[in-house]
This record gives sequence, structure tokens and C-alpha cells, in this order.
Amino acid sequence: MSLNRREFLKVSAGASGSLLLSLSLPGCAGLQTGYQEETGQWRPDAWLELTRDDRIFFTLARVEMGQGTYTGLTTLIAEELDVRPETIEQRFAPVADEYRNPLYNLQLTGGSTSVATSWEPLRTAGASARQMLVMAAARVWNVEAINCSTREGRVVHPNGIDSMPYGKLVELASKEVIRGDVALKPRDQWKYIGKQNHRLDAELKSTGAPIYGIDVELPEMVHAVVTRSPRYGGKAREFNADSVRAMPGVLDVFEIDRGIAVVADKYWRARKAQAALKVDWDYSEALGLSTADVFESYSRAAKDEEGESERSEGDYDEAEASADKVVEAEYEQPYLAHSTLEPMNATAWYRGARMEVWAATQGPDLARIAVARVTDLSPEDVTVNTTFLGGGFGRRLTQDYIEEVAAIAFRTDRPVKLIWSREEDTQHDLYRPAMLHRMKASLKQGDVTGWHHQIVGPQILNWYVRNAGPAQFPWTPKFLYDTLGTVGVWAEGIATPKDTSAIEGAVEYPYQVANIDIRHTQTDPGVPISYWRSVGYSHNGFAVETFMDELAHEAGEDPYRFRRRMLAQEPRYLAVLDRVARLGNWSGDLPDGRARGIAVVRSFGTYVAQVVEAGIENGAIRVYRVSAAVDCGQAINPRIVSDQIEGGILFGLTAALYGEITLEQGEVQQSNFHNYQLLRQYDKPEVAVDIIDSQAAPTGVGEPGVPPVIPALGNALFALTGKRQRTLPLKADA
Amino acid sequence: MALSLMVNGVRHSLDVEGDTPLLWVLRDELGLKGTKFGCGVGLCGACTVHINGEATRSCSIPVSAVAGDEVVTIEGLGDGDTMHALQKAWIEHGVPQCGYCQSGQIMSAAYLLANNPAPARDEIVAAMTGNLCRCGTYTRIIEAVESVVSGASTQTEGA
Repeated sequence: MSLNRREFLKVSAGASGSLLLSLSLPGCAGLQTGYQEETGQWRPDAWLELTRDDRIFFTLARVEMGQGTYTGLTTLIAEELDVRPETIEQRFAPVADEYRNPLYNLQLTGGSTSVATSWEPLRTAGASARQMLVMAAARVWNVEAINCSTREGRVVHPNGIDSMPYGKLVELASKEVIRGDVALKPRDQWKYIGKQNHRLDAELKSTGAPIYGIDVELPEMVHAVVTRSPRYGGKAREFNADSVRAMPGVLDVFEIDRGIAVVADKYWRARKAQAALKVDWDYSEALGLSTADVFESYSRAAKDEEGESERSEGDYDEAEASADKVVEAEYEQPYLAHSTLEPMNATAWYRGARMEVWAATQGPDLARIAVARVTDLSPEDVTVNTTFLGGGFGRRLTQDYIEEVAAIAFRTDRPVKLIWSREEDTQHDLYRPAMLHRMKASLKQGDVTGWHHQIVGPQILNWYVRNAGPAQFPWTPKFLYDTLGTVGVWAEGIATPKDTSAIEGAVEYPYQVANIDIRHTQTDPGVPISYWRSVGYSHNGFAVETFMDELAHEAGEDPYRFRRRMLAQEPRYLAVLDRVARLGNWSGDLPDGRARGIAVVRSFGTYVAQVVEAGIENGAIRVYRVSAAVDCGQAINPRIVSDQIEGGILFGLTAALYGEITLEQGEVQQSNFHNYQLLRQYDKPEVAVDIIDSQAAPTGVGEPGVPPVIPALGNALFALTGKRQRTLPLKADA
Repeated sequence: MALSLMVNGVRHSLDVEGDTPLLWVLRDELGLKGTKFGCGVGLCGACTVHINGEATRSCSIPVSAVAGDEVVTIEGLGDGDTMHALQKAWIEHGVPQCGYCQSGQIMSAAYLLANNPAPARDEIVAAMTGNLCRCGTYTRIIEAVESVVSGASTQTEGA
């Protein structure tokens, strides 16, 4: 496929003098669309390909990492094309501008945006192709197109008897031109949206099909492992390359930017050789701090700088001056690892001045930049083949593992597969940032009159922009990559979108309070950080909803009714709160030793309220039941929505009960699932999810299940013990 | 060293180092990629296979220890082209999300049912607790196993 980026990317000087990028509409230039006589393929747009022999291919531009795009997005296109979703064959998209996520101007899967951003374009694509097929059939039959219909991959004649399969019509259809808008199906004619219940990838994933990055197999492939500095930023002073190189099966041992690579004919031989590798690390520029230093630096920063104002209404100080009572609290959250069950891995093959990469990645265009960065190649010399992801949760947005495999493959004349061990995956992750929240509120006659929230911690863009900046402008000369990143951070909120990673979930504070002051004190201790399922909402949700619970108790009011009263102007919040109070039997009796907590968070446009029922058994926190009410607009696949919310709840519980990455003089102390535990089957509460019936445009569900469960559990424990926990993870003996 | 191994009913003679974990022999020597690497120390269960009928973590058992034994992986769990009842139930109940842990989950469930065809809920939970799922598919897993136990999910051959 030949791409000429410049043809359809229009770069123009914006009002501020900065470069603004306007994205051409999908299906225009770039990818070759139209009919190909030799192959009998018709590509009406960037996503669809219909063939003479009646096959339908759908190019999936949002990767499948468990969240259900493979099924959900196929459903959207199938609905309007009028074919059964099971008859569509999926392909993962190559890197091309048509496949960029319009919200980020990058080809990335994240931010719970896949369905929301595909809802109109994919249905329109399906409807347009269908319309062209109908027009072609009408021409053949010499009837009015408007009198023809379609049924499961066939155009049906006005007589209701004759029909033609789409395959027979593809060549003719490719010549049709649609004038004006294409009408989308009215909702009462939907056959699959809101109804499609089977995951289309379930069979592949229940039979052991080799579909993940780690399963890639290439001829003559060799295996690599990398030893990285135990302290982030350390450099190898010397290492015993010769003796390791002499070990069985070892092909090469060399230094790359991120550590020492050992390449061997077999994976296990590479690991054994790695065990014999001795590296003398130079830590002079490495991270040397411990977790306590991080929080100490946050406390200092919080006192020294009040931070940037992120939302200001009324006059908080005034409210405090005239209050009956001022409540203050500080909350702390630790670093968290992503722990995808498929550890980081990637395969690369350098030949003929090109590099081909096979990898589970949430950002294939960033992967190209990662390759270019560490080799002599340009992004155009790099092909990225995306596989299914054995978990993403934001981890695979950062392409550090691609940089590693590319650097190794560039020096190796055979294809190379790099696999990280679990220990490496845990200790060299980019973490959900540790955060500090300083909260204050003024109360007068039981009402909250002022709300003050100071968020203290780093923002993620500063780390992410390194490869994301160049990925937006892939023709940038490489020596400018880092400059582009710096400019991106400098121009954040002006020429580039504002980074909300630290403040989301705090600035949207939905409760009716007259005086609001929300600030971010930005401070970055230098520990690598990244997006982690629900990002800023994961920590702000805990701070806001726990503090709201504290205020309810201060005001002597039931936490559910207290919230309800302050959300009177917010019908969608109210609806999920009321629904969950019923579903979770909020006011109902409980056996001794159990209590309930409640929380509500809107994240990524989706409203989720949860009630947690918990207790303490044998010295451990036990979560018995979690009830959730969700408003995500139109649910494309209610079963997947419910599974995603439940998955988010269990992900959040893992963080609430166990999640904590700690540093000791720069070294991560956790390594594997014995000391970085994940929730197990035995710990799983009963989960009930109710979806609000809605006709609003769909919003994401991959992340919004996570934020409410952490404060809801903490609030339940307070109700049980009378002790407020303001630091995560939660403890049974706090 | 040459080593003989019976995998999914097929005998293989392999020239691998005896301390290589069975997992990597299955994946890289025999091309059976369904068995997954998750933690390398038997904590997550993604690498679960059956050795002489016992559910075993293939990541932490050297291949020399299973010479001459019969190994069954997810690829050999069904009967030829017919899937195991649990696999059908997994599909019907839409269990997998990212899917990475599911081979191991299914192998653990199959071991349970082979030895206890009618387990109670808490027996299923106990048997499945060694298999981690980061996506949180635990409820669907129990649902699918129970559907096979009750015979609700298609046929029960192989279970």
C-alpha cells in the first residue's frame, strides 16, 4: 500500500502562529480506495473491503485488548451494512492517518474513546457502502433504488423475491456516487446494536489460537532479553560481555540505550545467559529516591506553591471565613503497576533497509517513531503489525519495549523476539503516578459552602509527548524529535490539547457548591509514569468521593442523600445514584460486621455509581458485593458493557486492597504476583451491574468502572469501623 | 540431550536442554502457543497444562522432569475437531476479554471437572483461585463452568 501523507495532511499556520493539523475525512485520499479489477476487491473507504467472492473485511483501527472493540466496532459497521457481524472478517489497521483517533490526532486506543469516536463514522461507512450496493442493484434490475431493500448481505428486488449477493455487485457499486447525506437506520430497525451479545473473538481466545504479540513466530527467529538498570536512568559502566557471549546458544551481547541485550537462539538460553551477566552500573544520573522522599517532596511543593488554578468559582476564602466549620483532609495514593497478564514483548525484523515490527501496542504510529528514534530509519521505513493485546490498561501506550526490540533487531541479521519477565515488567513499568490531595471544605448549617482541592503530583503528558509529538508529525527530522516534545509540553493547553491527566475527576466536581477552588501543584519526582486504566479519575475519584463522605458525616447526613441533595441539577448523576441505591439495597439491613459505602464518578463521559458491601474477616478486608449503575448512553453491546464495568470494579479493588509500588533508593521493591498481588477468584465479590436505558450517543466503558469502587470501599470501611483511611491501599487494621 | 515427550497424543523426540521449562518447549519447539507465559514462577496459572492428567504449571517444571509423560495442552483438550464442553461454554458465555489467561483457566477447569464432575460453587472457586485474570472475567468463568456441570451448555462430552 502506498501512502503519501502530505497529500492529505494539511498543515497550516493557526491563529497563534503554531502548527495546526487538520485531518482529512476518512475514505478520502491516502489509502487506495475503489475497485481493483485483478483481485475483485472493492474498498469503499478506509475500513471496508468487499470482494467478488462475497467476503467482507473490516479494518479495525482501535486495537482489541479485552475491552471489546473487535466486537463493538464490527457491530456498528455490520448494522448499517446489513450483514451479520459474524460474517465480517477483521484486520488490524496498519499505520495510516485515516486511522487516527480524532480526539488525539494519533492512532491510539485509549481514553475509553473507541466506540464514542466510531459511532458516527463507522455507521456512516457501513450505510454508504450499503447504499452504493443498492444503487448498483437497482441499475441492474432497472428499478428505483428506493424500492430495493437489503437483507443479510443481499440486495432484495422490489418484488421481494429476487435478490443479489453483495459480492456480485461490488464492481458496479464502486462506480456509484452518493449525492447528499446517507441516512442511518432508525433505532427501531436495529438488529444488532443494543442486542449483539456474542463476543466475536471468544472462539479464538478459548482455543489457544496464536493471536498475541508473544505468539509471533518468524523464520530463523532468535530471542532477546534485556537487563535494565535497577535504578531508573542508570548507565552500564562495564559488563562481562565476553564470558556471557561464550555461553551455549548466545549469539550476541551488547549495550542498547535502555540496558544490556542478550541475544540467543532460544529464549531459555537467553535467560540463562542473562543470569550470568554482571553489570557495573553507574548511578550518577540515576533515580535514587525512596517512596517516602516522593511524598515528602509533594508535601513541600504543596506548601510552597498553591499551584495553577484549574477551576475557580465564587470566593472560597470568603466561604471559609463565614463557615460554621472547616473540614480538612489529605489523601495519598501510591504508584501502581499495570500488570497486563501478557508481559511486554515485541518482535522485529530488520532487512533491506526496512524494519517490520509485530507487537501488541495501543499506539502503532508511536511504535514507528520508537523504531526511528533508535535506528537510522525514518518512520516511513517501518511497518507495524498490531496483534491482539494480552491486556493494555494504558501500559501499551508507551513504546519503550518497541525501542528495545528495534535497537536489538537493528544489530541482528535475523528476526528477534524480545520478551520481558514478570519481574522486569513489574519493575520497569511506567506507573500510575503517586499523588497527594489536600482538601478543605466549609460547612454552614449542614450545607457545603466552599470546596478547595489542591492536587499535587506530575502530569503524564511530559513523559508521553516524547514519542507522541513526533508521531503527530512523522516527517519531522529526527534531531527535532525531542524539541517537538518540549514544544508540545510548553504549548500544552495552547497549541496542543490540555493534559488533564492530573486533574480529571477533580475539575468536573459536580456537586452544587457556590465557592470552588481547584488547583494543581505540578511536581515530578522523576519516577516514570504513564496512563493507567482511568488515569486521573483513579486518584481524584478517591479523593473527591471520600471527602464527600467525610462531609456527609460531618453534616450528620446519610451519604447517599447528602450527594443526592447536592446533585439536584444533574439528572444523569441522580439517575445512577438512585438506581444503585435500589440495586445495592442502600438502606436495607445488613448482617453484623458488614457495612455499605457509596460513590459516584463520571469519567470519560460515562456516569457510574456504586455501592460496596464489605466487612473484615480473619484480619482481612472482605468485599461481599458491589452494585453498579451505569449510564453510558446507548449501549452497543449490553453484555460487554456489563463485563467492562465489572472488570473495572475488580481492577479498582485490586488497587484498593493490594496495589502499591514502592521505591527504595530508586529500586522498585515489588517483582511478581506474590508481592504485587492481583484480585483472585476467591476474593471476588458478587457484582451486579444495571445499565440505564438511554438514547444518548454512546460513551466509553473500558475505564469508568474503576474510579468509584475505591472510595466506595473506603467509605464502607469507615461505616464499619469509624476510622477514616486516607491512604491507599486500604488496610484491615487501620 | 534427546528427550521423548508425548504431547496431545503425539510423540516427540526433542533435542533441548533438560532444564528448559516445559512451557518454552511447548511454545517454541512444538509451536503450541496456546499455553501462555505470565509470571514464570507458578503464581498466575496462565501456563497450566495437564501432565498425566494432573493440572501443572508448565512454566516452572523442567522438561526433563516430564520425559515420557503425557502432556495435554489447550490445543489437545478437545476431541479432534470437537471442542471440549468447557471451550463451548466459554464461547457461549463470552468469558474472554483480553483472553490471555483463558487457556490456563480452561485447563484448570477441565482438571477440576475430570476429577469432580459435579463440584459445588465453593469447590469451583477454590479450584480456580490459582488462575489470575487481570481483566476480571471471574464471574463469567464460574458461570461457564457451572453451565457445563448442569449440562446447560450444549453437550458435555469430554467433561
